[in-house]
Amino acid sequence: MDFLTSLEVSGSGLYAQRKRMDIIAGNLANIETTRTEGGGPYRRKMVLMSTKPSENFDRVLNAQVEGVQIDGVVEDKSPFQMVYNPSHPDADENGNLFKPNIDLIVEMTNMVMARRAFEANLSAIKSTRQMAIKALEIGR
Amino acid sequence: MPEKLSFDRTFRALEHAINVAHQRHNVISSNISNLDTPNKKGMDIDFKKAMVRALESEDAMSLSKTHSGHMGPKMDGAQQAEPFEDEGEWNGYNWINIDREMTKLIENNLQYRTATEVLLRKIAIMKEVIRGGR
Repeated sequence: MDFLTSLEVSGSGLYAQRKRMDIIAGNLANIETTRTEGGGPYRRKMVLMSTKPSENFDRVLNAQVEGVQIDGVVEDKSPFQMVYNPSHPDADENGNLFKPNIDLIVEMTNMVMARRAFEANLSAIKSTRQMAIKALEIGR
Repeated sequence: MPEKLSFDRTFRALEHAINVAHQRHNVISSNISNLDTPNKKGMDIDFKKAMVRALESEDAMSLSKTHSGHMGPKMDGAQQAEPFEDEGEWNGYNWINIDREMTKLIENNLQYRTATEVLLRKIAIMKEVIRGGR
């Protein structure tokens, strides 16, 4: 039992949320991208999160204390948005243009949620710090 | 630990309180870092139950002595509290809710600091006695 366990756990939370933020930023930047290396419009990306068992020595004792990790970045398989725009060079023969399956409102909501979760982890770290300082006062 | 020398039950109770609060802090931190893990259920430690358990196991360990020279069993302060699955509310993604976890975090933080503060004051009183009130 040490403060490093909770710091490690909260740190993994900070990292995961920051990574999630990177992916959201990428989605927002590519909201109008109609050409990608693999062909077709940009597909919305999402992060997958799962629990990460503590890497500490006493992980048997801390079996219930788990951090978080990013399992991977996956593409959203939902259909692309279709708009009629025959003047666009990427439009098909019927004049339909496929745009990325990104909903601005969804991305903004996710961004706020990522930020809140980041702040929550930060508060946990601050709390850990306060507790450690208080514990150090014993025996002063 | 010499039992007669002021290191009484209060000291041990405070030690357990700090220990349990620390373990609960780890568990709550873990919940907060898993805010976005799908289908995850939060864990929690019942502070009262863990305290009762710690104090009871301590009582069970103090053996009766038939001779003044008998030594007591080795006291192990680091009792492991048992976390349980927290009854959370389903938020459409998992069972961990940020508001609840933050409240628990602050509450537990206060409990930890209270226990530490009381311990500090007790030590201050002992220092006062050692100095002979000067």
